[in-house]
Amino acid sequence: MKRARHLAEQLTVDELVRYGPLAHAEMLVGENLARPVSRVTLVSELDQVRRCGPGTAVVLAAGLAHGAWAVESALRLAWERSAACLVTPAVPGLTQATAQLGRRMRLPVFIVADDPAACALELAAAIASPDAARARLAARCAELFTERSGVRGIVGVINAEVPGVTVALLAPDGHVLAGHALTDRGAQQLVRVDVAGPDGRHWAELVASVAGRPSPTWAETVRLILRLARAPLAASVARERVDAVRDAERGRAALAAVLAAAGPCGQPGRVGEPGDPAASAAPGGAGQAGGVPESTLGWRLGGRHVAVFLRTDPALDGAAAAPGVVSAWQEVVPDLPLVPWEAGWASWWTGDDVEVGQVVPALRRALGRMRSPVPLSGGVGRAAPGPEGLRESLSQAVLAAGVTVREGHGAVRSFDELGYTVMLASLAEPRLVRSARVVLADLLSAPDGPVLVATLAALLDCANSTSQTALRLGVHRNTVLGRVERIRARGVDLDRPDQRLALHLACYALLPGLGLA
Amino acid sequence: MSGPARPGERRIAVEDVPALLAGAEFYSTSAAGEGIEFAGLWLEDLLAHTGPVRLVAAAELDPATPCAAVGAMGSTIAMAELPPSGEEAEVLARDLAGRVGGPLGAVMPLNAASVNALLPVAAAAVLGLPLIDCDGMGRVFPLIHQTTYELAGLPLCPLAVVSAGHDSVLLDTGSVRAERLARSMAQAAGGWLLCGLYPTRAGELGDAAIHGSMSRVLEVGRVLCGHAAEGARREPSAPTPGEGRGTAPHERLLRELVAATGASVLGGGRIVEIGPSVRQAGTVYPGNPLGLVVNDHDSGRLIRLEAHNELVLALADGALTAAVPDLLCLLDRGTMRMTGPERLSAGDQVDVLCVPAAPVWHGAAGLALGGPGAFGFPLRHPREGGR
Repeated sequence: MKRARHLAEQLTVDELVRYGPLAHAEMLVGENLARPVSRVTLVSELDQVRRCGPGTAVVLAAGLAHGAWAVESALRLAWERSAACLVTPAVPGLTQATAQLGRRMRLPVFIVADDPAACALELAAAIASPDAARARLAARCAELFTERSGVRGIVGVINAEVPGVTVALLAPDGHVLAGHALTDRGAQQLVRVDVAGPDGRHWAELVASVAGRPSPTWAETVRLILRLARAPLAASVARERVDAVRDAERGRAALAAVLAAAGPCGQPGRVGEPGDPAASAAPGGAGQAGGVPESTLGWRLGGRHVAVFLRTDPALDGAAAAPGVVSAWQEVVPDLPLVPWEAGWASWWTGDDVEVGQVVPALRRALGRMRSPVPLSGGVGRAAPGPEGLRESLSQAVLAAGVTVREGHGAVRSFDELGYTVMLASLAEPRLVRSARVVLADLLSAPDGPVLVATLAALLDCANSTSQTALRLGVHRNTVLGRVERIRARGVDLDRPDQRLALHLACYALLPGLGLA
Repeated sequence: MSGPARPGERRIAVEDVPALLAGAEFYSTSAAGEGIEFAGLWLEDLLAHTGPVRLVAAAELDPATPCAAVGAMGSTIAMAELPPSGEEAEVLARDLAGRVGGPLGAVMPLNAASVNALLPVAAAAVLGLPLIDCDGMGRVFPLIHQTTYELAGLPLCPLAVVSAGHDSVLLDTGSVRAERLARSMAQAAGGWLLCGLYPTRAGELGDAAIHGSMSRVLEVGRVLCGHAAEGARREPSAPTPGEGRGTAPHERLLRELVAATGASVLGGGRIVEIGPSVRQAGTVYPGNPLGLVVNDHDSGRLIRLEAHNELVLALADGALTAAVPDLLCLLDRGTMRMTGPERLSAGDQVDVLCVPAAPVWHGAAGLALGGPGAFGFPLRHPREGGR
């Protein structure tokens, strides 16, 4: 047992190459590098190789470098003694035939340019104290972490510097945030370290797959390096988030300034809505907003625009998710801005021949690929030229998004497609909702009240056609008929034309609060 | 030596020269056999004038017969450019006669390989003496004192040398110094010297020589010549009658060479690498170090050969499988001739043969004088045992 532990603590040839004394040697034969190295022998006579034990790193003294034949003789003897590797000084004539022999023997061969005796000493020091060599590796990684600013850079340091280790930064859902995706090979040893976000809560996990024979000490070294990476990762994420928030606020101020300059009545912001985003962007933001020309943000304001507006479920904390939404958007659509705007995020496609018909599927694809922290749906405005057109288009997109937000994640509708019904989405006005709850109290008190309200809204949309309603709701027509029976039983009369508009409005006022997908 | 041959008498005549040349090339351990064809023509011309040379075993001679080894040192390329006149042997014989107390009664080869398998024949022909069927190396060694004569304690000196310009010197010193002095003289005198050395009596050669060397060279040479002639006659696609299907011609030649020499085949295949080899040791030796790697076709092993003029070592997958004093030879599958690093390039197909040296070379003294250590390789000869 003690013996086994001792073996596990030995450095492998690979480790000596990656961060040990063999790092500067030329590798003539790179076979079988996973062999552990138990000791070093500096040989000045070929016969001394015969006395080497298994796992020895055989270093040929400069005086033994008589020629390729001597190296090959030593290679053969080292192979017979099951040595771990052979280190030779540079010898003229040491070429492909020697390399070929080394490959046949599956014995690593290294050529050192300087004194092999010095190399043997360094090897001996490294082998005698694997911990010291590994501590040097950890120190080197820590040093490199400080030089990298991004998450990918930090994970890349581990992948590049730590031999035989493949590391990935995984989100809780298993998505690879950075690093190499881990191939599922059963024999590999996995080392996992939790990474907290800037808020101190679990954010992601660093998972390293360690190649080769499982070694407890080596796994500890890898774990140490992963833990060293945690603080830089958290700092890097925090920086990215701060940058995202700052960029978002700049964007919001700039967009407000652009629209204010373009708009006839100096809005954005709905009339009477408190907290005009432009004003609330930053204290003293007016000067800053005016001072941020859109060109510095890389925006194109000339030409035709099609604005889009993204919204999430009002029940969710959209503000907290903002950095995540913006970064997810930039991953998928890196060349278009996404600006926090009102209760969602605004963006726009620009081009002389841009059409709504192109933007809708493009936005749908983008939403499908985005790894957003919250569900998102989008509205698309009409195409229109210039900043004024952008303002118009954005207003339309906001209205359209008011509809799509009820349809759940990934829904994208254009203003034109929805027509006048977009107006109905604005009906979530508290007083109207309260009135609606009173007039439809009977219906809502039914066990399946919300379902009945949604069915009633659909039925009114479809001019009382039960078959169309069934199609729209995705249920059987008989189900719709059954629900209509229950709706009528609750005192709702569908056949009175003078009540239809009020009934329709009441349903739409209630829909956002029903919690139906 | 004209006149009819007596029954049982062995002779080397003009018609034996091609076989002698081919055998000399085989025993030159691949490298030193380079460019010795000139010597064949030269010897044929000489034998046409003098008549055949009598080849005798040392035991057939009166034990008191004075004899000396003859061989050249230096560069065969220099010798090809500045060939011997044939009279050099007379200078040697005259110089040595004054020291051994009478004229020489026989000549023996210093080493029956490369050009030195032919020069003693010429010397015997010119002097009208019999040639003893033995030699002191059984192959090519770079230094003149790397001999079995030396191992047996025969003194190398007095050493008589003569150059292409008929400068002659008689040296009286130790073997190692004699080698060194003569080599520097060879450089100054045109690149090569003909040497008369190890003057002794026929009776002393019992354990001091490798007997039957010349016969063996001729036998191997006849095998090689036979195949060369057959290869020239046969259509490349036509199967040889009496041979099993799929037996490549080079495999039959290898079998016959193995039978004639007791060699083993280390492997064969494509040359994957050939180039200069740098060694720190062995700087006392003339010549340039080379390395080549053969990828054995059957086993996939990599056979690395180290040459220092001659092939010195063979490592199969890094393990030493053959080394001096054993002979390493390369057979070119394309030309069916013995070949060497100078004539090869990457991609050629060769077979690697190892011919065991004479047993005396495998003793401790033999390995010290002609083993891998003598060439600066800190390796134990494969026959030295595991530890």
